Amino acid sequence: MSDGAVKILDGNTFVVSDSRGDIEASLTDPTGLFSYDTRFLSKWVLTVNGDRLNALSVDDLQYFETRFFLVPGTGTVYVDAKLSVIRRRAVINGFEEELTILNHEDKPVSLTVRVEAASDFADLFEVKDALKKKGTYSARAIKGRLELAYTRDTYRRATAISATTTAKVDKDGLTFKVRIGPHGTWSTTLNVEAVLPAVARRSRPIMQRELEKWLAGAPQLECDSDELKTTYRRSLVDLAALRFSPPVAGGKSLPAAGLPWFMTMFGRDSIFTSLQALPFTPELAETTLRVLGDWQGSGVDDFRDEDPGRISHEMRYGEMTAFEERPHSPYYGCADATPLYVVLLDEYERWTGDRKLVRELEYEARAALNWIDEYADLLGNGYVSYQRRNEKTGLENQCWKDSWDSISYRDGRLPGFPRATCELQGYAYDAKMRGARLARLAWKDASYAERLEKEAADLKRRFNRDFWVEKDEYFALALDTEGKQVDSLTSNNGHLLWSGIVDKSKAKAVAGHLLGPRLFSGWGVRTLAEGEGRYNPIGYHVGTVWPFDNSFIAWGLRRYGFKDEAAEIASGILAAAEFFDGRLPEAFGGYDRPVTKYPVQYPTACSPQAWSTGAPLLLLRTMLGLEPHGEHLVVDPALPRDIGRLELLDIPGRWGRVDAFGRGRVEVEMKRGRKR
Amino acid sequence: MATTDAVTEHFELIGARGHEPLLEKITATLRFDVLNGKRTEHWFLSIKKGDIAVSRRNVRADVVIRGQRPLLEQMFSGHANAVAAMLRGELSVEGRPELLVQFQRLLPRPGDARSRGVSAGYAKRLR
Repeated sequence: MSDGAVKILDGNTFVVSDSRGDIEASLTDPTGLFSYDTRFLSKWVLTVNGDRLNALSVDDLQYFETRFFLVPGTGTVYVDAKLSVIRRRAVINGFEEELTILNHEDKPVSLTVRVEAASDFADLFEVKDALKKKGTYSARAIKGRLELAYTRDTYRRATAISATTTAKVDKDGLTFKVRIGPHGTWSTTLNVEAVLPAVARRSRPIMQRELEKWLAGAPQLECDSDELKTTYRRSLVDLAALRFSPPVAGGKSLPAAGLPWFMTMFGRDSIFTSLQALPFTPELAETTLRVLGDWQGSGVDDFRDEDPGRISHEMRYGEMTAFEERPHSPYYGCADATPLYVVLLDEYERWTGDRKLVRELEYEARAALNWIDEYADLLGNGYVSYQRRNEKTGLENQCWKDSWDSISYRDGRLPGFPRATCELQGYAYDAKMRGARLARLAWKDASYAERLEKEAADLKRRFNRDFWVEKDEYFALALDTEGKQVDSLTSNNGHLLWSGIVDKSKAKAVAGHLLGPRLFSGWGVRTLAEGEGRYNPIGYHVGTVWPFDNSFIAWGLRRYGFKDEAAEIASGILAAAEFFDGRLPEAFGGYDRPVTKYPVQYPTACSPQAWSTGAPLLLLRTMLGLEPHGEHLVVDPALPRDIGRLELLDIPGRWGRVDAFGRGRVEVEMKRGRKR
Repeated sequence: MATTDAVTEHFELIGARGHEPLLEKITATLRFDVLNGKRTEHWFLSIKKGDIAVSRRNVRADVVIRGQRPLLEQMFSGHANAVAAMLRGELSVEGRPELLVQFQRLLPRPGDARSRGVSAGYAKRLR
């Protein structure tokens, strides 16, 4: 993404421009107006009397709205500006831009204001891979409107551009002949509409109201740290921005809240984000469960890596998906979302007491549990493993560390397929245990519950034997096709604690590694330990620190009673958030904290990103030790000392609304950045 | 009109299921407009908490799904994906599009015949 890029977004519609508000995209440059995975504007350039403008300042008004203050002139000195130009832009089914020009002189001025517009209608996949288009373009000026279109067979996407004042429209843009009196003002509103089939529309007043309602409905945070308050508010606002109502979810099936999809629907990300946000906005979890249930696999489709009961990985709406050049309609190639679906359903019930939903989703939950043994045990050895059946465009690594080199032996070699990564076994164990609870509670099927518990116990016993690296006392990253350990030390150990699959006798050693010098950077736990063959502090899944990952590791540490260690991780990640104005990126460098003093953002990390946005929320939960127990909420705080006083008021749940209080007592300062 | 064509056959098969657990959360009517040259055939699929009834009689529908006969035949036999067809503009969907997604769960997939033929675990199937 270009430097100084300005981004506004609502769900999966977003605009990326330079600081003047202009867009000049190339095929490989992700700037423009994007909606439903397609670029609807690749050029949007404003000139006054033929001159480009200079940026004075940019105001982010809302996540969906921004304002650019500009002056004419091409130089860097603009002290004597006789005109000011203000572009106020909001994302609404495309975007709306209010263009205002102020004349600061005592005499009238005549101006030619021009907006150049064009679109390459690139699919986001094409932007990534720089591919050539197969359809035809057209641009037409009709009745004061400019219509840009792209057609390929029955596929059609269009951008309709119009203005509220008279403009001369040609196929490259709109021209306004403007005369402004002394100290006068001229204004027009440009409307850029992304035209695609069957899409729900929203209007700005509703967006504004929704945001206010959203913020008012979440618990209030009171604390000594202004930075933590900023991070908390940022998280809530960004979660609101990332919610997305896909056309196929339908207005009716979605509560007002919508869903935090990462631009499009991601099974894994939506589930993790919903888990993180449960104590704050439980309605997200309900939507996630319902929508992912509707999309659950029901047959065997090799192109989409679909199986019956499998929860989808990713839905895309662009041209390549439409023509089945990519399998994302939706694509099912992930091995963790299916067990995690059951985990979320159970955790949701524990917080909300909503048994009705558990009964409604009995079919989907059972199908998900069935998938674990029936379709995911690719080697017939009782472990969940993955191997793509779509070898051309499917995903190689179907776990959250999905880059090509993320799963390696200590010496850097990559194992063959299928791969049974360790956290998948943890999720499967947890899904069975929680499925058993739901079977007794809501499905009235005690024998199914017993069967699940028996299978879970058996899995746990075998797992602690087969994955345990005896010599160094941690769990191997995976088992290869021969059942041998893929023996790297990774952050996945933290997810194992979270799942509960770890034998109590092994937990202390695991926690020691997570907070040890090879994994813990001082800011958080690295994805891959320093000293491993493929370790790289700025390698995507081989050394960086992921805030989402750390939030679940902290939860896992709490699950096994390691309160202080969880607080230490919370302290590091929340301190890192301060360097990003409360908005944690997807990942940052795994450098030792004393070396860089600040967290180095991973070069192409997404931000905001749903599960990073959710990380501070889950860390608040783990620090306060919030845990539903029957009809009550247990609060057992273990806060880092530098947090000071912390109050979370009006936590929603089956208990109505309750407050939680805590005071910092865990000393983490001295441990920070410790070295061997 | 011929009654042995693929579309008719598939609607009759779906209607013959009587009850479908996959659709138990749904009460809605889907109208399918099957375009065939100048003629359009209408089919109505009424779902009441998973109970399915198929008819040709005109009733108010919650979603209207419209496409050429060959596309619908491909869809019903598991060789065309309804969502991709919708994104391509080949299948038009007016009303509640989520009903199309839920309906698609009833349709076969290209790999289903293979998986039905083997009784052992999927693991062994892949090997």
